[in-house]
Amino acid sequence: MATVAEPIRYASKREGDIPWYSWCLTLAVTSASIGGRWDVSWHQSIGRDTFWTPAHIAIYLCGVLAGIACGYLILKATFQRPTELIATSVQVMGLSGPLGAFLAAWGGLAMLTSAPFDNWWHNAYGLDVKIVSPPHTLLILGDVAIEAGALLLIMSALNRAEGQPILFSRLRKLVLYLSSVLLMSVMFFCMEFTRDVLLHTSLPYIALSIGVPVCFAATSRASRYKWAATSIAVIYIASVIAFILILPLFPAEPKLGPVYQPVTHFVPPQFPMLLLVPAILLDLFWTRVGSLGKLWAAALSGPLFVFSLLAVEWPFASFLMTPASNNRFFATGSHPFSVPPWAPVVLRQFIRGDQPSMLIKGLALSTICAAISVWLGLTVGDWMRKIQR
Amino acid sequence: MKRLKWLPCILILSSATSGYAHVGSPDVYAEGQAGPYKMSVVLRPPLVIPGVAEIEVRTESPGVDNITITPTPLTGEAAKHPPVPDTMQKPSKDVQFFTGHLWIMGAGSWQVRFVVNGKNGEGTLSIPLPATATVTQSMHKDLGTLLAILGIALLLGMVGIVGAASSKAMLKPGQTSSATDTKRGRIAMAIASLALVVAVVFGDHWWTVDAAEYAGNIYRPLQMASALEDGNILDLKLRDPGWLRQRSMDDFIPDHNHEMHLYALRWPDMDVLFHLHPQPTGGGEFRLALPSMPAGDYRLYADVVHASGFPETMVSELTVPPVHGLPLRGDDAEGKALPIISGAAARKRQSGAGDTKQSSEEQRFKLPDGYTMIWKTPAPQIPRKPETLRFELLDPEGRPPRDIALYMGMLGHAAFVKSDGSVFAHVHPGGTMAMAAMDIANSNASKNDQSHSTAIDMGTMPGMDMVSNGLPNTVSFPYGFPSPGLYRIIVQMKHGDTIETGVFDTDVPMLGGS
Repeated sequence: MATVAEPIRYASKREGDIPWYSWCLTLAVTSASIGGRWDVSWHQSIGRDTFWTPAHIAIYLCGVLAGIACGYLILKATFQRPTELIATSVQVMGLSGPLGAFLAAWGGLAMLTSAPFDNWWHNAYGLDVKIVSPPHTLLILGDVAIEAGALLLIMSALNRAEGQPILFSRLRKLVLYLSSVLLMSVMFFCMEFTRDVLLHTSLPYIALSIGVPVCFAATSRASRYKWAATSIAVIYIASVIAFILILPLFPAEPKLGPVYQPVTHFVPPQFPMLLLVPAILLDLFWTRVGSLGKLWAAALSGPLFVFSLLAVEWPFASFLMTPASNNRFFATGSHPFSVPPWAPVVLRQFIRGDQPSMLIKGLALSTICAAISVWLGLTVGDWMRKIQR
Repeated sequence: MKRLKWLPCILILSSATSGYAHVGSPDVYAEGQAGPYKMSVVLRPPLVIPGVAEIEVRTESPGVDNITITPTPLTGEAAKHPPVPDTMQKPSKDVQFFTGHLWIMGAGSWQVRFVVNGKNGEGTLSIPLPATATVTQSMHKDLGTLLAILGIALLLGMVGIVGAASSKAMLKPGQTSSATDTKRGRIAMAIASLALVVAVVFGDHWWTVDAAEYAGNIYRPLQMASALEDGNILDLKLRDPGWLRQRSMDDFIPDHNHEMHLYALRWPDMDVLFHLHPQPTGGGEFRLALPSMPAGDYRLYADVVHASGFPETMVSELTVPPVHGLPLRGDDAEGKALPIISGAAARKRQSGAGDTKQSSEEQRFKLPDGYTMIWKTPAPQIPRKPETLRFELLDPEGRPPRDIALYMGMLGHAAFVKSDGSVFAHVHPGGTMAMAAMDIANSNASKNDQSHSTAIDMGTMPGMDMVSNGLPNTVSFPYGFPSPGLYRIIVQMKHGDTIETGVFDTDVPMLGGS
């Protein structure tokens, strides 16, 4: 096994600098994250679905920016073959480039593919009234792949930056931010299953147990930061609260009928899930059980995640059903224009209450899902710590 | 990616016979008054729901500055909550022609409300629009190929990425990979390939489930079983084949006096025609004592309107022996004509003999009592082009009859039937929409707009002039033939107590054809 004599530094001109393509990818995923939330609010407030809405442009700008950054890296590595870039490249289908660039490029291609697919879907089956459809899934997969690609690109730099404390610190902050964007995408995908009126059933906890612990665990392992899960949970909660506070500042009126709710401004999203509590507990737990194997850590983390979340979310959901939550901050009085006045979300009533036995079974399933998700996250996190290219 | 090169495209589920509010003729053609402005309106409903309805308006005179359009459900709570109106565009220099489009978000009975502003002030008109999903569009071959290529690239790319991620990506910069690394990469690629195959199979299943769910929303008209009992009692039993859960078979409302309008046409010649009105007996059943009818195979087209204003046309077939029944009474009427095929051939012969003036400017139909019905300007028709078809009734002396009367509240009724049975449209002087739905639409509008009530008075609607003396002997119908082919037009007008049934045929050529 041969190695090069000189360690390859991160491709930047000054110590601690982060190159433009990393920022470009970060901007790409930020654009998609904002665009996604904005687009949902657009559909709930205005309803008109043309391709060229600002929200759609923000989503697809993600693909464009990712294409620019990844195209630059892959083309340069493949054709110019500079030593420092080739040394940190992998080969895929005859092309060279960093692994993260390939994954992000794959995401860009997936988003590009989803556009004509989604357009045909609309023509074949009508305008979508649900987020989770096959073309939307491809779009979200593309978005997630770009986020993961950006994360891998930064992770490989982070792993190579051992011994460069300034750069390491900056890159770690970027890793935490990108992980939080990934968490927001997961929460976006779970949106239909985590409505506040469902929070006294097991469904939202099952959905969250599948998607959230893997993000927490992977970020924690990969970033080597004690409060990694807490950090990304804080960014997620702060971002959603920012949307709640900012979106209603802008006027909007429905252009599709029927209009059951008097909408005059953009409808804010639902108050974020209280992921901060399980995140803090998991961070504390993982700090103290470093000697435990992954299986044991996952087996204990699963119930910790589910029951700590349940302990705060259940009573908080009850609060969200009360008039006290009908204010600018908790925003439970703002509804999409198309929701009729007799809908539970307007009446502030829980729906689909599980029987106790069903609830117990659902929570047991959530616990198993969360444990598997943690194990997967720890495994992925360990693998991310090894990524060099 | 599924349903691409290696999988068949999904099937087209629609057929011409599945149109609601008539058969195979979903577009709404209407004429009406929006306050002081007379307008011709075309509403083309979307093929999928939710989808976009295309709207065209031609005003009779200039002076209209702008027209706004608003869609709402025709009845129920949702009807009270319109969205922000859209402003129609003038796509050309023609100042009297406006176009627009509206999203229709659910299947059922909708209305489009027009608010017209111009030099004579503001006027309002509401036109009902039944909207249902009627098709699942197949994927164009080129798009399928493109998506297949992109899909394969995505699959191969992901396998390659997984291979690199599990081997070379973990090597220190500049380090070369060992045989173990290569082996690990290959194993990972094999596992990834398997996982992607599973993902594609799952995606295929998901797509199939979604497509099936959507197919369940495609409109299926009520079915009608017809039988003859006791010699001349026609029994019609309706059956719901399943569509929207809220559809009922006991909520029909009178549409210009009758809960059902039944056209019985001797098939395929359409040489004997009846316009009858069976009575509901409850539970989705209608019965009628037939008049005397010659034997033959009859095709039955039955129009009903639900309480929501949603119209449906049911189709059935019935073989009838010679029926010695009751004399025609009330609004029931009959007509006789040459068979449609030989009629067309006869016109062709006539045209070949040089009598082109008559065939190009008018068609005449001699009625049994010596009266004549004339179709004015039967110019070559163009599929889906809105036209106003005008008919005139003359007495045996060739003069306008002095005793023209309203037939079910209107100057006339028309039915457009395609020779292959794929199109049937029961049309009124105000347009192709059900008059009962029109009443609902404009009573809703007039509740919201006091200026509306007079604008939509039935007496001001085209062909529905209710002047007590001197009713006109002409009637016109707005319509657009939905597709090329041979059509029979059955027009009914009334003078005194006599209902006259005129029959005209027309060949609608292919677009760009001779």
